[in-house]
Amino acid sequence: MTFAASVGNDVLRALLQGAPPGTVYALIALGFVLTYKTSGVFNLAFGAQAYISAAMYFKAHVEWGWPIVPALLVSVFLLAPAIGLVLERVIFRHLRTGSSVAKLVVALGLSVALPNLFDVLAGFEAVAGRTPQGIVPDGASVFYDPLGVYAFSRDELAAIVVAVIGMVALAGLFRFTAIGLQMRAVVESPRMTELNGIRADRVSAVSWALSSLFAGMAGVLIAPRFNTLAAPDFFNLVVVAIAAAALGRLVSLPRALIGGLGLGTSIALVNTFLPRWSNDHAWLRPFQENLTPAMPFVVLFGVLVLWPAIRQARETTDPLSGVEPPPPSLAAASRSAFLTIGTRVFAVVFLAGAGLVVMTRADASWLFLVTQAVILSTIYLSITVITGFAGQISLCQGTFAAIGGFTVFQLADRQNMSVLLAALIGASIAAVVGAVLSLPVLRLGGIWVAIATLAFAYFFDAVMVKFSWVGGGNTSLLQGTRVPRPTVGPWDMANDRTFLVLAVLVFVVVSIAVIQIREGSVGRTLRALRGSELAAESIGISPARARITAFAISAFIAGLGGALLSIHQQNVNYGSNFAPFAALFWLVLVVSLGSRTVEGAAQAGAAYALFDAILLKGALFGWLLRGADRIPGIFPISAKWRFILFGLGTLQFARHPEGLVELNKRRAAARVEAVRARRAARRQGEPVG
Amino acid sequence: MTSVLEARDIRKSFAGIVALRDLDVTVEAGERVALIGPNGAGKTTFFNCVLGVLRPDRGTVRLNGEDVSDLRVHERARRGIGRTFQRIELFAESSVREHLLIAEQTRRGSGGLWKDLLGRGRPSSEEVAMCDAVLELLGLGDLAEEPIEHLSLGKGRLVEVGRALMTQPRLLLLDEPSSGLDREETADLARTLRVAQDDQGFAILLVEHDVELVASFTERAYVLDFGCMIAQGPTNDVLRSDIVRQAYFGDVEPRR
Repeated sequence: MTFAASVGNDVLRALLQGAPPGTVYALIALGFVLTYKTSGVFNLAFGAQAYISAAMYFKAHVEWGWPIVPALLVSVFLLAPAIGLVLERVIFRHLRTGSSVAKLVVALGLSVALPNLFDVLAGFEAVAGRTPQGIVPDGASVFYDPLGVYAFSRDELAAIVVAVIGMVALAGLFRFTAIGLQMRAVVESPRMTELNGIRADRVSAVSWALSSLFAGMAGVLIAPRFNTLAAPDFFNLVVVAIAAAALGRLVSLPRALIGGLGLGTSIALVNTFLPRWSNDHAWLRPFQENLTPAMPFVVLFGVLVLWPAIRQARETTDPLSGVEPPPPSLAAASRSAFLTIGTRVFAVVFLAGAGLVVMTRADASWLFLVTQAVILSTIYLSITVITGFAGQISLCQGTFAAIGGFTVFQLADRQNMSVLLAALIGASIAAVVGAVLSLPVLRLGGIWVAIATLAFAYFFDAVMVKFSWVGGGNTSLLQGTRVPRPTVGPWDMANDRTFLVLAVLVFVVVSIAVIQIREGSVGRTLRALRGSELAAESIGISPARARITAFAISAFIAGLGGALLSIHQQNVNYGSNFAPFAALFWLVLVVSLGSRTVEGAAQAGAAYALFDAILLKGALFGWLLRGADRIPGIFPISAKWRFILFGLGTLQFARHPEGLVELNKRRAAARVEAVRARRAARRQGEPVG
Repeated sequence: MTSVLEARDIRKSFAGIVALRDLDVTVEAGERVALIGPNGAGKTTFFNCVLGVLRPDRGTVRLNGEDVSDLRVHERARRGIGRTFQRIELFAESSVREHLLIAEQTRRGSGGLWKDLLGRGRPSSEEVAMCDAVLELLGLGDLAEEPIEHLSLGKGRLVEVGRALMTQPRLLLLDEPSSGLDREETADLARTLRVAQDDQGFAILLVEHDVELVASFTERAYVLDFGCMIAQGPTNDVLRSDIVRQAYFGDVEPRR
């Protein structure tokens, strides 16, 4: 009897405990569904918008000492909807007919660019130790315990109250106003609404403003749960909200609401009861500490994979969306032999010159950066295969790389295995994981592949990394995840220059392999599948087999590169190298520069590692003006510009999916050819046409 | 001798609406058979059921005597079905010859990751010769290197036919091959198909609106209306029957 009473008590406590985060999840999920349904944008930048409002509130309230109400007005009620309107008007309205994948890529770019843009423009810098504050005075220190079961902090109560007010207001708007009616109509059927003469643009703008308001509100409400304001935490939050929205099949607002609440409370329930079971069942113990944060990702992955209905929710946007013009052929295919040889000669001379300078004159820090650039280029080739060739957006490349890194750490540091052998084993394990993962994921197609791989990346991040046999457990907290440098025959890789040679060799070998794949049967098969899956099947191509192959190759390359990166840094450095949000930037970078060529990957690697040092810190000017002291005073420019520029670089993806480098190469080639044609015509004395 | 295609009792409904009602269709080796009917009669749905793009609610599909009802599209394709599409389905970024090469290499199973990595992923001269022979047959020889995006609709259809021929089908499903072609191109296509058929000996099941083509090209015809088989038999008899004329042309006045 007492036992039952205590269990009932615990359930009640868990429900109460889960209510505050649950209502906030519900708030974001509502906003998310609203934008998705009215404009077809799977807005992953929601987390970035929530971050901006939270940071603005922090800035105004804590740093400038404004009272709560004006700070709230500015950060949530002015700034958040304004950002939403700008995004809608300047970016997403023009993407209405773009494919859902293009919109997703743009949103990814924005989620990298926007927080950094705000930081730079507002001069905001998160400082550890200065914790965000809630929207009520003494929010974190005054508690109420209405039922004698669970003590709500004032912040938590405020979160519940505000979220409920927001939802009630939304319900009222939907029910009692004209624009609300139109929005409901657009949510139900955008096409029918437009046919009835309602301007979907205006409705879409209003819903962007509204959903952004929700995002901003949620950001400010959830901020007190974090110690320091950091954009990745907010991105994490939006993934949680997607899980909540997915429970409502991404279409139903009430169900998204229930999904959010349900997620919040079920996390609290697991939190309460799992520790007890794990006392009885030892095998549960490792999961106990880690499963709670991973719950939303497990739910999201499960919903996507096990619930076919959600995939049918996709064709709800503009009738023209998804009609992708075929990407133009590669510049290399359209330019003349003269130009091809010219570019190649230039590339070889440039690279040889740069290599010579680096090998003879570079100091340790430059060597480090150049090596990093080469290794990252190798990793980025994995994105070339999966995104450039197979046309799938995978957001777990960082996880595959981490598997490579951790394997080297486990085998080389703990088992004393040969480092290079361990790297190969790590890559192979990553390939197997990639192949297994692709089995449930590849049936999804389109943006769902991206979301499922993102869920997997966060699951790995929240659970797997914590295991002793993966991330090293407690010992790694003290010693780090050490990875030794190998010695190959007479060459000791502890020497940075020797190691750079190894990195370049690996990059060259992988590049050749990737080109062979592109030109070979696998590349042709993947192109066929991307062109028309139906036609490819009708000549006997198995789509499943081709995609498993692509995933496995891509994971192998990423694993190999990840192992190499860990060997280079002599530590896996999971958090800064491979965490899901860090790896998100990889995709953004590669896609915005060029995901279909080896050069694109190489330039992305160079951009990641060297853009900051050469351009933003002003080293280039130092070299040109021959003296580090002559670098102009505007340098160094904030390193955040790297994220802003390449994040915004994805904006051209909808129109030029081949990437900036390819685009400009093609244009330059066309220009040179035009000049040559004119010269040739003049030489023959013909009139210029 | 077993039939190339034996579809029995095929029924398919979408959300309660019966699109195909218990159809029986048989195609013998080397035959040319038409499947005709007004728009929305279920012709393309039937094709999709035969190829496995759609799973019928009940009924069986046998290819050369083998029950393929539970096989997936690519598995059925490998057992000898080739197909062209009503709305052409081509592979972006590939040249004309590559379209055929992909099919040829898939049929032979000659590709593969390891071969690619060893630099042997490029097509063999024999494979290229096979493709070029078919391209010549279709009159596409000059266009072999062209990117597919440069082709007209009519040529695109021919590429689809060539791609299907490379799989060396026992049965070729042609879904409105003449739509988008002018009279001359249509006649050319029919001539080419006859030549290819004499060469390879496959059977053809043709969905077509162009009555002239149906009459001149096929030996037998099935007529569908609202998912029901309303007539079948020798093409010329079928086209003359009143019930067909009523469903198809909406007139019952006997002509000539």
